[in-house]
Amino acid sequence: MTVRIRFFARFRELLGTDIVVDAKEGTVLSGLVKDVAEKNKEGYDAIFDEKGIFREFVIIMQNGKRVETTAAGMTRVADGDEIAVFPPVAGG
Amino acid sequence: MIAIQSEDVDIGALINGAKKRGTGAIVVFDGMVRDDDIREMELEAYGEVAVPELEKIASEAKETYNLLSVDIIHRIGRLAIGENILVIVVGAGHRTEAYEGSRFIIEAIKAGVPIWKKELRRDGDRWVPGEHRHGSGQKS
Repeated sequence: MTVRIRFFARFRELLGTDIVVDAKEGTVLSGLVKDVAEKNKEGYDAIFDEKGIFREFVIIMQNGKRVETTAAGMTRVADGDEIAVFPPVAGG
Repeated sequence: MIAIQSEDVDIGALINGAKKRGTGAIVVFDGMVRDDDIREMELEAYGEVAVPELEKIASEAKETYNLLSVDIIHRIGRLAIGENILVIVVGAGHRTEAYEGSRFIIEAIKAGVPIWKKELRRDGDRWVPGEHRHGSGQKS
């Protein structure tokens, strides 16, 4: 199945954006993000701590809806999903 | 009008558009690029999520503060010192609702709308840290 990952702000600079991934059935959100982020150590370290856990400020959305990072290990992705990963917002 | 755009904003036109029957007060918030020893500011948005969130904030503000009109325009792209970043124009029957509604909108935008700012500084670029570190993971 095909899943699209979009990184924003500092994460985008380190990892790129609009990344299309061919994911296996049963793939969970945390695993998907980890696989993509591992391609760049600095990008990986910006998102995950040394234990491989999402850093506390990281925000994830699945199809525009927030998913708590603590639930990302149990949340499966589906064909056509758009996953967004970003740091705290700073608009205004 | 609710929009995220790279073009500048015609604040005068928004004020004129906000003058409706029953309007007694219009409050304009204009957030702009401050000269904090930077060259420029670069703004980025997750537009597909940010615009609906701005619309939701506008609806909530209208309902809570009895506003007669709400315009929110947030700019993206590269902006020079002094340029408009965010313009909020709020119309209401009375000043109290207009001021409070405007304040509610700017605080809600800062709290959760996916937009980011990067300062292009003379001594190196820097992403502006959010005021709300609202991730849900464990502290490490």
